[in-house]
Amino acid sequence: MNKLYLWGIIFAAVMLLLTYLSVGGSEGGLNDDIVNMLAVAGAVALVIITVFVVIKYVRQMQTDTADGELVDHSWDGIGEYKNSVPMGWAIMFLGTMIWGMWYFTIGYPVNAYSQIGEYNEDTKAHNEKFEAKYADITGERLVDMGESVFLAECKVCHGLQADGIDGKAANLNVRLEEKVVKHAIINGANNHLLGTEMPMPDRNGLFNANTNEMITDAEIDLVSKYVANGMTGAGADVFEGVCASCHGADGKGMEYVAPNIAEFTPELVVNVLNHGKKGAIGAMPKFDKLNDKQKEAVGAYITSISSK
Amino acid sequence: MENRPLEYDYTVAKMFMFTTIVLGIVGMLIGVILAFQLAFPSVNTILGEGLAEYTNFSRLRPLHTDAVIFGFTLSGIFATWYYVGQRVLKVSMAESGLLMFLGKLHFWLYLIVVAAVVVTLFMGITTSKEYAEFEWPIDIAVVVVWVLWGMGLFGLIGIRREKSLYISIWYYIATFLGIAMLYLFNNMEIPTYFASGGIGSWWHSVSMYAGTNDALVQWWYGHNAVAFGFTVPIVAMIYYFLPKESGQAIYSYKLSLLSFWGLMFVYLWAGGHHLLYSTVPDWMQTMGSIFSVILILPSWGSAINMLLTMKGEWQQVAASPLIKFMILASTFYMFSTLEGPIQAIKSVNAIAHFTDWIVGHVHDGVLGWVGFMIMASLFHMAPRVFKREIYSKSLMATQFWIQTLGVVLYFTSMWIAGITQGMMWRAHDEFGNLAYSFIDTVTVLHPYYTIRGVGGLLYLVGFLMFAYNIYKTMSARPVEESELQNASPMGA
Amino acid sequence: MFHWLEKHPFFFAVGVFVTIAFAGLIEILPNFAQASRPVIGTAPYSTLELAGRHVYIKNSCNACHSQLVRPFKSETDRYGHYSLSGEYAYDRPFLWGSKRTGPDLMRVGNYRTTDWHENHMKDPASVVPGSIMPAYKWMFTNNADVDTAYAEQLTVANAFSVPYNEPVPMKDGSTKIVKMGKNLAEARALALAEAKEIVADMKDQDVKDAVARGEIPEIVAIIAYMNSLK
Ligand code: HEC
Ligand code: HEC
Ligand code: HEC
Ligand code: HEM
Ligand code: HEM
Ligand SMILES: [Ca+2]
Ligand SMILES: [Ca+2]
Ligand SMILES: [Cu+2]
Repeated sequence: MNKLYLWGIIFAAVMLLLTYLSVGGSEGGLNDDIVNMLAVAGAVALVIITVFVVIKYVRQMQTDTADGELVDHSWDGIGEYKNSVPMGWAIMFLGTMIWGMWYFTIGYPVNAYSQIGEYNEDTKAHNEKFEAKYADITGERLVDMGESVFLAECKVCHGLQADGIDGKAANLNVRLEEKVVKHAIINGANNHLLGTEMPMPDRNGLFNANTNEMITDAEIDLVSKYVANGMTGAGADVFEGVCASCHGADGKGMEYVAPNIAEFTPELVVNVLNHGKKGAIGAMPKFDKLNDKQKEAVGAYITSISSK
Repeated sequence: MENRPLEYDYTVAKMFMFTTIVLGIVGMLIGVILAFQLAFPSVNTILGEGLAEYTNFSRLRPLHTDAVIFGFTLSGIFATWYYVGQRVLKVSMAESGLLMFLGKLHFWLYLIVVAAVVVTLFMGITTSKEYAEFEWPIDIAVVVVWVLWGMGLFGLIGIRREKSLYISIWYYIATFLGIAMLYLFNNMEIPTYFASGGIGSWWHSVSMYAGTNDALVQWWYGHNAVAFGFTVPIVAMIYYFLPKESGQAIYSYKLSLLSFWGLMFVYLWAGGHHLLYSTVPDWMQTMGSIFSVILILPSWGSAINMLLTMKGEWQQVAASPLIKFMILASTFYMFSTLEGPIQAIKSVNAIAHFTDWIVGHVHDGVLGWVGFMIMASLFHMAPRVFKREIYSKSLMATQFWIQTLGVVLYFTSMWIAGITQGMMWRAHDEFGNLAYSFIDTVTVLHPYYTIRGVGGLLYLVGFLMFAYNIYKTMSARPVEESELQNASPMGA
Repeated sequence: MFHWLEKHPFFFAVGVFVTIAFAGLIEILPNFAQASRPVIGTAPYSTLELAGRHVYIKNSCNACHSQLVRPFKSETDRYGHYSLSGEYAYDRPFLWGSKRTGPDLMRVGNYRTTDWHENHMKDPASVVPGSIMPAYKWMFTNNADVDTAYAEQLTVANAFSVPYNEPVPMKDGSTKIVKMGKNLAEARALALAEAKEIVADMKDQDVKDAVARGEIPEIVAIIAYMNSLK
């Protein structure tokens, strides 16, 4: 075999191998996605066609000889042959031109394609497929699904470990950090954590039933530590006196009154995702682009990691 | 009159050869820096935190593209014009004081514009439009430079002895007209300082077009800037330098004719392929795709014509690195003009657009085709312009292989990077969620970015060898009595 | 005919020009009127947002970031609703970009916040490990060019009737008025007022002090712009 062909085949094989490897780099490979398949087919066609067409002409350099009738003129010594155009080229040029004109005047108007129409169909198919699956996703699977949402959407702020990246966002491994509690007590809170407008008063509205006085600085410190420590340690009495009336004796909240501050619940997380949150640490955006199942799932995931 | 060979005057050609080389080095050096910044972000502060504002990727990127396009490539186009033009029109610049003056003025004004561009882009003065970053004062200067070139071009044609225009001249004329039209329309902008009665920066302007319209005009420009900057004038070069260097006659006049007019007709329709799946109407996008596919043929027509011109001349290909450069350039031209149309198919573009596969496509065109052809042209010109033999043939051969390896590393790594990333963006997992967060699709590219950097570095090293070879040719070789004939004479 | 043209450069040039010119006419012009109509919910940029947009352009963020959500499920999942032509009616120039080294930013205002941008622009890898985006520390000390932003507002209001100080319809049926100063002093004051709202959510003390002094560092302007992308 001619060396050229050998090199051509080697080059094409290497390129195809590389393409194959890059497809393998993505989860699920081609994923039954027509777009993926066409892209790869295009890449393959590109390599093969170029390599072998070029070799065809280079072979002519090796085997053929120049001939034909020269025009009786030259430019700075450069002559031109009167050779006719290569037949294959001419036919393809003419063919594609006719195809283009046909497409412009008849093909496209008749088969009018709409990219938004296509999007709507794809989205519908996708949603139907997964809505059918969603019913079966519960328990551990739901937590797994939540983790997948977390890794795609939340980790840029909360970090891979959900630790809040040195206080840049909430540490989701624990229900509450001290400074968040303190901030809520001093400034009150109004983040729709119950899903509705239901504010917590600021310190001027927090009355200690045990002492019959407004909450004091010392008590704020104490109870903040108490809550942040997962409702353990000193400060139980302050909590009892100030907070329990709304958040419940165990801190697990009361429906329509105050949220659970002892542990995360999927509902709480969903409320945060629906309304966003602004507090001691910074601002958390709301997440309209997630669907209900995804929100529920990520809620389950956060509940699970924070209760470990 | 025809008995004595004309004494052509290469003064202006020499000046532009000089900027081709210098701006080539600058532009490619910045390219290499960019490539390593994407692989190793710490390179953003290569000159320290204090200068990071000027050395970070985003400030440097427009400098790279503009330095290689409007510095390296355009200088190459002008250099070859001031060489080829005289020869195929059989008229010397020395015959007209006016043309000589216009040529020199053209060069010096060009140089001033280049300096202004470098300074303003470093300062962050840009309109953001790709390949049309310059603000209005520079636009005006660009137009003046262009008009000067046009006057020189048509002036020379006006006093020509050779009545019928050689193929290369067709392409130079098209370059002039195409860029003139595109540049004017894409740079329609209102200077805000004057429109607001003297508020803010005087150089700032606002585009006359908004949103989707602006995008349409920009990519009508952008695509055809590629056409009339990276294709048409480079074809002009190969139509002259390949037959001249090899002593072969053009394979087919008819093929050159059909390819030329075909290219002129088809190219302008294809710009829509930069806007696939955007908010421009579906039918325009479809037209862009269709005409991109048609465009394969007029593009390949020229390349095939060149390959066939070398029919039966394998010994020349084997013996001369200069011919090798041109043959490989034709090959890369074919590769990128097939790759482009494939990427222009809507479904393929869904993957390729926004990814490194496009960057790969760009560079197999610009490095393999544009870069190779410009260097080959200068290699052919140098012995004639300086009346000295090329300094070193073996250096040239080494350069050829180093750069070829560089291009291959560049486009293969970007090929994989692009397809990988494109597919990762689309992937959904078993739950119907996105399978990857964006950053996952960035970190996987690290090895490919590194390989690209190495490939680019090799290409730059090759270019420095080229610069050195030309420099030595100018300075170290003995002067010959008369013009060196036929194929480029090579020293040891 | 071609032989004749090749001997007559003037007609040759005319031939080339006609051949290359008419594709533009047929392909570009028909869309012009339609694409300039804004969709409901699209308002012009405020002075500070526009100054931020200039910072974005000055630093060629568009070299790495697109602002165009294509109609694919994977993109609408990641970035939100696909782009509509009229949403860009006030974008001069358009900033769709052609390379996504970083993610699309068309709707980044929906899912990132002021304090996050502050951390991110100062040191991207500190919030997103593995990020290859450059740090933009100098934006915390350089001041934004509010005057030029105001000059541009005046220009587009006069030349293209961009509706400043006029009610524009919002999606929920309400209207919104984007204010533009009557003179430079008023424009500066408006921008400063906006800047104060942004810095309230920021942490960097130097930036807060600067705004308190009446300056507007670039970072504040660019965050205002990022937040406006919805
Ligand atoms: C009047 C009822 C009421 C009292 C008393 C009260 N809270 Fe709250 N608390 C709420 C409500 C309602 C919310 C939810 C506010 C929101 O939606 O942002 C809340 C929210 C919180 C939060 C924010 C949770 C988060 O995820 O950021 C913390 C922390 C908190 N309370 C702690 C306390 C502590 C500690 C006390 C006692 C010192 C206390 N609260 C007393 C009603 C109350
Ligand atoms: C742009 C950054 C950002 C993103 C993205 C983000 N968060 Fe947050 N998130 C924050 C910040 C900042 C806080 C802390 C707010 C505060 O309390 O000051 C927070 C707080 C929270 C909280 C705590 C609420 C509480 O009551 O203490 C939960 C739960 C949460 N985020 C869940 C998520 C989930 C789930 C996602 C992804 C779907 C997500 N976040 C994405 C920034 C972000
Ligand atoms: C070298 C390329 C590069 C440049 C230049 C660049 N970015 Fe980025 N950008 C990235 C990458 C990569 C990411 C994804 C990783 C991360 O979040 O840091 C990103 C992420 C972002 C994000 C987060 C978006 C999201 O959805 O998470 C914002 C906002 C952003 N960049 C703004 C900017 C601005 C504003 C500029 C210009 C001043 C800029 N970027 C310049 C590469 C770049
Ligand atoms: C038949 C000829 C060609 C066609 C149909 C074509 C098509 C394309 C397509 C579809 C894109 C990508 C658009 C996107 O998705 O972003 C592109 C980008 C590009 N091509 Fe080509 N291409 C051709 C030839 C060439 C050649 C020969 C060169 C250079 C020598 C070149 C240089 C470029 C450049 C610089 C870009 C990047 C534009 C940007 O900044 O986005 N192309 N081309
Ligand atoms: C030493 C060799 C070179 C290297 C290492 C190099 C590297 C790069 C890099 C890293 C980018 C940015 C890609 C991105 O944003 O992801 C780029 C863009 C670009 N380069 Fe080069 N480059 C080189 C030579 C050239 C030459 C010689 C030309 C033209 C003659 C050129 C033309 C371009 C163009 C047009 C773009 C923009 C592509 C786009 O927007 O799609 N480059 N280059
Ligand atoms: Ca301009
Ligand atoms: Ca680009
Ligand atoms: Cu194009």
